[in-house]
Amino acid sequence: MPRRLPVLLLLLAAFVPAARGEGPSVRAGHVWIRQAPPGVSVLAGYFSIENLTDKPLTLTSVKSPDFGTVEMHESVSQGGTESMRQVGEVDIPALGSVEFKPGGYHVMLMQPKKNLFAGDMVSLTLAFSDGSELAILAPVRRDPPQR
Amino acid sequence: MKSKTLLAYAGLCILAIAGGLLAGYLTFHPRHPRPVTEAVLLHEAKPLPEFTLSDTAGQGFTRAALLGHWSLLYFGYTHCPDACPTTLSELDHMQGQLRGVPAADKPAVYFISVDPQRDDLALLRNYALYFNPAFIGATGNVESLKALTAPLGVDFSYDPADRKGDYGVNHSTFVVLVDPEAREVALFTPPLQPKRMAADYLAILKYYGENT
Repeated sequence: MPRRLPVLLLLLAAFVPAARGEGPSVRAGHVWIRQAPPGVSVLAGYFSIENLTDKPLTLTSVKSPDFGTVEMHESVSQGGTESMRQVGEVDIPALGSVEFKPGGYHVMLMQPKKNLFAGDMVSLTLAFSDGSELAILAPVRRDPPQR
Repeated sequence: MKSKTLLAYAGLCILAIAGGLLAGYLTFHPRHPRPVTEAVLLHEAKPLPEFTLSDTAGQGFTRAALLGHWSLLYFGYTHCPDACPTTLSELDHMQGQLRGVPAADKPAVYFISVDPQRDDLALLRNYALYFNPAFIGATGNVESLKALTAPLGVDFSYDPADRKGDYGVNHSTFVVLVDPEAREVALFTPPLQPKRMAADYLAILKYYGENT
């Protein structure tokens, strides 16, 4: 049981909607951070965010106490060449969702404050245009979670 | 001429034409059809040029190093948080799919860094091994890299550095399949599916085995 507790907490954390007076506005799922190979200090974080409201929302920032800098980036493929560009915000359509996944949007986690390995948990706080915030716990993994 | 004789002549003519067509087909057409693959199978295998890079296997990474076995080449850089770890992890899973294949038929996997300014062989060794103990890292100066990348159509360029000196590298994301004669034969383009890649790889191996 004690071994399972963190997993349970994680599952709860991953799906707990942003707490707001008038009810939740967003929900996150499929949260994970790719473990950095040796010698690399930049990690990529992935998740999906669902907008539960009937109005468009914008993800304005992602923060983490475990990293010096956190940015949102998008991998853009053009003619078979991939490049990355920083994005300031990401729109989530009304009652729609946006996925941060390999080859697309991802969170760049830079200057880690400690070494992170598979099984470690990272706190992320997502801020939205309606003033709400969503705190999620992201597990560090070698491979993507099974869908 | 009697109509019966005419008919016999016509019959012979048709037989001769059909025979000629069949002989032509057998001579100029491979006995086995090209496999249907998700991978882009080049119409004609393209010999690689001479190139000289360094690799983590301790030998020079040259055209000769590619002779005698199948290889997969992927070009990236270690400071790449998204595309490169994703691809290398998928290539590891593809190797897992080929578990039952004889060692001689398995591809060698090369991760070639196009960011020699930050990636040295020590870093590349740890990086490549992290994904699979058999993966080989390689790099060289930009000019030497271009000798290999340009003919393969692999592109790379550098973004301007930020105030901390960090910069992104733009690079092609396809994986190049090279045959034991050091010829480019196919490209795997993302999103890579390890199972499909393994199946395509085996189909291409079989096709080349039967038609050479």
